[in-house]
Amino acid sequence: MGLPNASGDLSTEVEVDAFRRLFPLRFFEKHLLESIRPDARPLGRARDTTIALGAVASANGSALAKIGSTTMLAAIKMEVMTPSMETPDEGCIAIDFHMPPICSPIVRPGRPAEAAPVVAKQLSDTILSSGMINLKELSLVSGKAAWMAYLDIYCLDADGALFDAALLAAVAAFSHLEIPVVSLNDDGKIVLSEGQGLSDREPVNKEKRKVNLGSIPFSLTCILHKNHILADPTSEEESIMETFVTVVLDSSSQLVSLYKPGGPVLAYTSAIQDCIALTRQRVKELRKILEEAISGMEVD
Amino acid sequence: MSKTEYVSPEGLRLDGRRPMEMRQLRAEIGTVAKANGSAVFEMGNTKVIAAVYGPREVQNRSQQLNDQALVRCEYSMANFSTGDRMRKPKGDRRSTEISLVIRQTMEACILTHLMPRSQIDIFVQVLQADGGTRSACINAATLALADAGIPMRDIVTSCSAGYLNSTPLLDLNYIEDSAGGPDVTVGILPKLDKVTLLQMDAKLPVDIFENVMGLAIEGCKAIANYIREVLLENTKQLEYRRGL
Repeated sequence: MGLPNASGDLSTEVEVDAFRRLFPLRFFEKHLLESIRPDARPLGRARDTTIALGAVASANGSALAKIGSTTMLAAIKMEVMTPSMETPDEGCIAIDFHMPPICSPIVRPGRPAEAAPVVAKQLSDTILSSGMINLKELSLVSGKAAWMAYLDIYCLDADGALFDAALLAAVAAFSHLEIPVVSLNDDGKIVLSEGQGLSDREPVNKEKRKVNLGSIPFSLTCILHKNHILADPTSEEESIMETFVTVVLDSSSQLVSLYKPGGPVLAYTSAIQDCIALTRQRVKELRKILEEAISGMEVD
Repeated sequence: MSKTEYVSPEGLRLDGRRPMEMRQLRAEIGTVAKANGSAVFEMGNTKVIAAVYGPREVQNRSQQLNDQALVRCEYSMANFSTGDRMRKPKGDRRSTEISLVIRQTMEACILTHLMPRSQIDIFVQVLQADGGTRSACINAATLALADAGIPMRDIVTSCSAGYLNSTPLLDLNYIEDSAGGPDVTVGILPKLDKVTLLQMDAKLPVDIFENVMGLAIEGCKAIANYIREVLLENTKQLEYRRGL
């Protein structure tokens, strides 16, 4: 703070932009002193969030989630497979997260983004351990056939908080998922049936059914900088201040996952508790948005 | 020979269109905030998103061209875009071929000599595939380039046409495309009236080919009109926002 500013007077538009590019940390700290961020949000507020269900017509379940500019498209496709020997009564979920080069100027074709496998692993762990989906529901014929749900999440625009948006899109896609009707044909194989059941038995209900979701996980990523906590960072904020904490709570406010992958700032328990409190509030907002999206679909 | 009727005796196709009718078009500009230019283009059920980054610094110094811009293109399909889930959405032969085709088509219309030693990246992602993905990608790329403000000779529009049940059909969907009949894809520069892309599969007598190609070119011109409307509307919005 001892060095003089390159331009002492910030009244003209051009100089503000130049200052933002040349001295990003000072630019942000000037805002943090007033407890506000460059996009006029207070420190604890997340960006506008929207969910649209059924974005991909050809998938069994899909959703498009937007947090500010960050856009995620999630789609689920179901296939029948033989369950493994250790778990003959359970189906399987395969979660894949892609960051195609359209999402960000730093992703190059041929070289996948660094963040992609990290977020994919985080998502996989969170969704499978949260108990949202009971794998036994995905079973068809014990030991012989079960559903494999392929969840693919594509990032269409990367502007910070990738994990939050991806988790939201995944959860919304599962709530939109309809398991198709199948029946057993004469060879003992499972076939997709159009309309009414064609032959013998029907291991699943006669009509497409929705999956029963247990407790739904919601998350919030916060950035720690000196003694400030910023909720829901944009990519600019993430690149300048590198310490972030992701808290995942489920709808009954139980802690599902806590993730702080290092970073220059060390967090005291009080900071972590503040993050959890912010997340609790965010979970209420997200639940409301998800419920509105679901009831909007049912009205159709 | 299958007995499937792709054109009914009344002259209706499987999805209720007439042989010379295109599917419904929908385009939107500026969908990816991070990109310099972006667009979503829908032709019926085929939905494609394109993003353009550039002109920017060349990432691989050895490929830098001193007198013109380097144009790169990548085409990839989402895993859920087709009926069955795809295992390898990019890097397979079809995606590499289409990437090359789109790159060469767009390179023909970009004024690359105005931006030497720079790189223009065009990324196209297919979200839903129902036939005509190549054409939808080229149309989306044109809109994205226009949104990015990259100087071009003319817009490029593309459309496909086929020949089934002795009728030339415009804008094939997936079922008609898989029927085994010829599939002609044309890309033109509408104002200059020049053909920049022409691909055809299967066999076709030359005079019928001329008909089918003429039909595809008509389709391209109709798409060009629609794209111009969309760009004009977008410019009006930009003017309102600037207070002009």
